[in-house]
Amino acid sequence: MSGGIARGRLAEERKAWRKNHPHGFVARPETLPDGTVNLMVWNCTIPGKQGTDWEGGHFPLTLLFSEDYPSKPPKCKFPQGFFHPNVYPSGTVCLSILNEDSGWRPAITVKQILIGIQDLLDQPNPADPAQTDGYHLFIQDPPEYKKRVRQQAKQYPPLL
Amino acid sequence: MDSDDDMHDANDLESLEDDFYSGGTGIGSEEEDDYDDDDDDDDDEDYGFVDNDSDDIMEIAANRYQKNYTILNEASIQQCQEDDITRVSTVLSIPRVASCILLRHYNWSVNKVHDEWFADEENARKTVGLLEKLIEIPKEKELVCGICFDTYPREKMNAAACGHPFCHVCWRGYIGTSISDGPGCLMLRCPDPSCDAAIGQDMISLLATHDDAEKYSKYLIRSYIENNRKTKWCPAPGCEFAVDFVLGSGNFDVCCNCSHTFCWNCTEEAHRPVDCGTVAKWILKNSAESENMNWILANSKPCPKCKRPIEKNQGCMHITCTPPCKYEFCWLCLGAWSDHGERTGGFYACNRYEAARQEGVYDETERRREMAKNSLERYTHYYERWATNQSSRQKALADLHSMQTEKLEKLSEKQSQPESQLKFIIEAWSQIVECRRVLKWTYAYGYYLPDHEHAKRQFFEYLQGEAESGLERLHQCVEKELQIYFDAANSVQDFNDFRTKLAGLTSVTRNYFENLVRALEMGLKDVGPVNNQATSSKTLSSKNLGSRGGKSGKSKM
Repeated sequence: MSGGIARGRLAEERKAWRKNHPHGFVARPETLPDGTVNLMVWNCTIPGKQGTDWEGGHFPLTLLFSEDYPSKPPKCKFPQGFFHPNVYPSGTVCLSILNEDSGWRPAITVKQILIGIQDLLDQPNPADPAQTDGYHLFIQDPPEYKKRVRQQAKQYPPLL
Repeated sequence: MDSDDDMHDANDLESLEDDFYSGGTGIGSEEEDDYDDDDDDDDDEDYGFVDNDSDDIMEIAANRYQKNYTILNEASIQQCQEDDITRVSTVLSIPRVASCILLRHYNWSVNKVHDEWFADEENARKTVGLLEKLIEIPKEKELVCGICFDTYPREKMNAAACGHPFCHVCWRGYIGTSISDGPGCLMLRCPDPSCDAAIGQDMISLLATHDDAEKYSKYLIRSYIENNRKTKWCPAPGCEFAVDFVLGSGNFDVCCNCSHTFCWNCTEEAHRPVDCGTVAKWILKNSAESENMNWILANSKPCPKCKRPIEKNQGCMHITCTPPCKYEFCWLCLGAWSDHGERTGGFYACNRYEAARQEGVYDETERRREMAKNSLERYTHYYERWATNQSSRQKALADLHSMQTEKLEKLSEKQSQPESQLKFIIEAWSQIVECRRVLKWTYAYGYYLPDHEHAKRQFFEYLQGEAESGLERLHQCVEKELQIYFDAANSVQDFNDFRTKLAGLTSVTRNYFENLVRALEMGLKDVGPVNNQATSSKTLSSKNLGSRGGKSGKSKM
């Protein structure tokens, strides 16, 4: 369809990000062993929001873009087994704006995606569970849920 | 597989009663029968008065079959859609594109659109994405496309009413993706994530490829039929007609221009006088694995070792399971064969089994197996007759067709009669097709008629039998007796006699089936277990049921 525009758009996204991006976030296309840049895969970091149980964590997130981007959303993945009610066991994030059948619009930027996922961390959507562990604790045992979230935040300290 | 489930199927006969009374889909109608008893008119069976009768019957039939639907072809669907769009557009004083968006959103109900709009216009606009005021594209020379992030001169950009500018290529891609994703494209919104402005057909025609725009129009037409409560596609394969039905008008039978007849309510083939619930149950039953399970239960036992079902097809009780299991056991007691031999009663009996049975150990399983067998036999009885009438109807339909297309012409030459004089043959075949259909469904009805309602069952079987034998006579007559008039020379008198006979049979058969249909639609009210008066009085006779005073049976399906 809009074949070929994926790379152009991603190059523009990269430019825009370098010019200005929210504090604490990292987003950069992956560099291959031979030194070339692969615009189709971005390695990102999302900081946990201050004043929440997620504070202090710097959570690694990979954005996988397809040739159909921006007609189709990128796939967004935390590490496998990431603890959150709306993250699949594989690490894939389940979020309305990332769903190609409903919320995705081609004008959604990488910045908006990352901020959207940061919001999701502290505001899970119980109507759309993606893993049993996180979902059950969130619903049935909030103190234990908080504990697990804080533990996980400690697991991902700032990289530098 | 859970054995409890299997058992449930095996006990079908028992659970049937519960099913029968629990749902609202029972066969018995709640309504009081509203036809008068014209007792003196009992000459229905009299062949001589056929002509007198037929007018009345036609009237009743016409009354019952009064058309409460319209068949739409592609052009008329488009016309209806256009008309609805125009109506809304005129009443609300909005552009046709906006009217179309509103109608699509409210499932093409003009009334609903009016209600929503006049109750709260602002809210209706917000819901469907119609902005009140057009917002211009920002007045800058060059603008950045929100999708590809490239810069373009202002005049190369397009925007919906919201003014969010995107370049042509990106618009085309955005629209194309959405159209190839399916009918959701009819609810397309602006690509900007925070904007809900609807994208109407005007934008599609302006920006999409020709093919995509065409697909979009197709989806629009389809949606008009599929999302509308009062229209449906004809379910016949390959048929492109749609049916516009007058909601709340009783009789659901619809005959499409493609000649497929179906029930508007459940879209199964037409099944009057049986109600949709019974038909659904019956079809499910026919297709369900449950019947296979019943068969397995009735005719096999599981191997005691590997649990695979085994059908016994040879006399001896010594069973050897197939490899890899190869377990040898006794069919009767399911014990290891090594424990058997002369001392347990030889090869054709099993003392262990006899002893255990006397202690009552095997009773339960045996009883279930027996029940499953009975229920299966009962089902098979009705199913066979249902299926035979079905295939017989198919055959009759083909015969009718070949009669219409070629044979009638031949016959007309042979007998030197104009084709218009041979209409009685077509009528006979049409009658047969219709009767086979009704008869077929009465077997589904019979299957679900509770066993304990003896009077009803008797009455039903009587009516069914009458109708069936009438139909057989008619079918036989047109199938076999007509044959000779194709080749042999015969007198005109002969042929005229044949005409009288066939027309008579057609009419009589029609009459029988009218009776049957009416009686079933009234839930066999005359012989209800409570309604003693009817059982004792003369009304039990089928002749009275067929009386002409009867208004068409109003039935709730």
